[in-house]
Amino acid sequence: MSVKYIPVQWNPNKWYYDGIMLVGVAAFLWVFLYITPDALGHERPINPQIHNARAFGACAFTMLTVILCIGPLARLDHRFLPLLYNRRHFGVMTAFVAATHAGYILDWYFAFSSRSPVQGLLEANTSYGQIAGFPFEILGVFALICLTLLAATSHDFWLKFLTPPVWKRLHYLIYAAYAAVVGHVVLGILQDDRGIGVNLLFIGGAALVCVLHLAAWWQGRAEPMGIAATGWVQVAPVDAFREGFAKITKLPDGDRVAVFLHEGQLSAIANACAHQNGPLGEGKIVDCLVTCPWHGFQYDVRNGQSPAPFTEKVPTYLVKVEGGAVFVNPAANPPGTAVAPVPLEKGAT
Amino acid sequence: MSDKPFFVGYLPAPGGLRGCLVLAGALLMLGMAAAGFALGVAQDDPGEGAFRFDYGRQTVTGVVELTPYPLIHVTEGNDRIKAGETFMMSAGGKSGVDGRAAPLAGQVAQVSGVMLERGDLYMLQLRGGRNGIRAAEGSGAVPEPQDLGRWRLAGEICDGKCLSGAMRPGRGLAHKACANLCLLGDVPPVFVSTQPVEGSEFLLITGPDGTALPEAAYDYVAQYVTVEGQVRRHGSLLVFAMDPDTLALAP
Repeated sequence: MSVKYIPVQWNPNKWYYDGIMLVGVAAFLWVFLYITPDALGHERPINPQIHNARAFGACAFTMLTVILCIGPLARLDHRFLPLLYNRRHFGVMTAFVAATHAGYILDWYFAFSSRSPVQGLLEANTSYGQIAGFPFEILGVFALICLTLLAATSHDFWLKFLTPPVWKRLHYLIYAAYAAVVGHVVLGILQDDRGIGVNLLFIGGAALVCVLHLAAWWQGRAEPMGIAATGWVQVAPVDAFREGFAKITKLPDGDRVAVFLHEGQLSAIANACAHQNGPLGEGKIVDCLVTCPWHGFQYDVRNGQSPAPFTEKVPTYLVKVEGGAVFVNPAANPPGTAVAPVPLEKGAT
Repeated sequence: MSDKPFFVGYLPAPGGLRGCLVLAGALLMLGMAAAGFALGVAQDDPGEGAFRFDYGRQTVTGVVELTPYPLIHVTEGNDRIKAGETFMMSAGGKSGVDGRAAPLAGQVAQVSGVMLERGDLYMLQLRGGRNGIRAAEGSGAVPEPQDLGRWRLAGEICDGKCLSGAMRPGRGLAHKACANLCLLGDVPPVFVSTQPVEGSEFLLITGPDGTALPEAAYDYVAQYVTVEGQVRRHGSLLVFAMDPDTLALAP
């Protein structure tokens, strides 16, 4: 949380995160570049420029696969939530690695010609009407543009400037980028590499991303809504609530609401964090404040406001206890509206 | 859930979670190293083609023929390239030598450069300007081509330079755009036949009636194709004048 923009708000956890990420990337590249040539045992080696391009390309694919696995893993098991915390740095690093791959390709395959490398890239192969021989490079170009755009807008300044819903939708481009990268690999190197190992690794990585997303979707799909005649939405039985945590329910308009039990009283706020739409209901009340599990943004559960000097606000909702269950009024109050908490009397009728 | 440790990024990690985080970090680092190894060792052998700088500069004399891609029929060879052999040429980078060779068609010329060699196939990358090719004293004539009839071949259209070893690997679909760029720059195209033709699996491929590789063939570069055409022996090199109407993807 911040009241002013600085390039990076460093803290020890971010240092650890970035350090581990950089060591991982360095390990991948070092092993690929300096260990595998001897292990390959080719009589004549692959061109160093091609070997470098492949190392950085494979590394970018692996990084992107890991990044896309983090989200569903965190939903399936909350112990993975810390991996989300600094994922943006992971994404920015991926864009740099992918750009290095593109640089090697341009400076080798598309160099040494009377055309400029970019002109050669766009003109050399125009067989767009076929699968085998499709100009797969253009898919890589698209993915790199997406990754660059996402990296360039990753800072919280852009989040605030574009507004969280727009920013979030923009950053869904990561899926388009990944799909393009998979196409780039499948229509490119996999067309030639006869080894089953490389096929399994690339396709297995992409399949893992799909399976984890499906599993997270399956686990996170909303329970059927119980809507009373008054239009209020049932959240859960009173016995289901635990001090400091929330129960989440889906409203008829598709929004989700998180109902927290704090000091024996119920309060409801929107489930989407004002920062990156993180799931507030999967967070916890820390120091009397709802704390987002993604980046630690905090809100007073009684009014949906971040503590001063911060200015983030989320909508609040009216709550009632009736017939041993907790209900919320689906009509959201404007963000930051104070609502009196409702005492929870377990076993109330 | 209330008993589970809750991570807040700007606070110290809770004790109950530290072990998991250390394990996750270690697994990420080791996993990345393992992925680098697994993907790195899965690369195919690029084959034996290569620039032969170790042979030193090669300078020979011969008669220039345009097919339209220029060939040299060697009349005065050296230890490496013998008289009577025929070979293709390219300039530096993704360029042919058509412009420099055309004025010398049918004449004796001295050529100088570095060899690219892949098995029986070799090519000379000429030095720049007149150092690479120039008119020379001597006599000789373009040998009469020997017609070997119409053939239906299966194989791959490549650019002769990358195939010979300028790129390692220098063929296949991942290399298609590079091959096309070379061919657009007048580097001689080579057909790699799945079955040897008169003892050779490499044939210089042209369009019909002494024309360059037709534009229609560019979509098929680097793919496994079948194509019919006239095969002729030009000196020691086979030239395959393809019929573009018969070009098709091999089943």
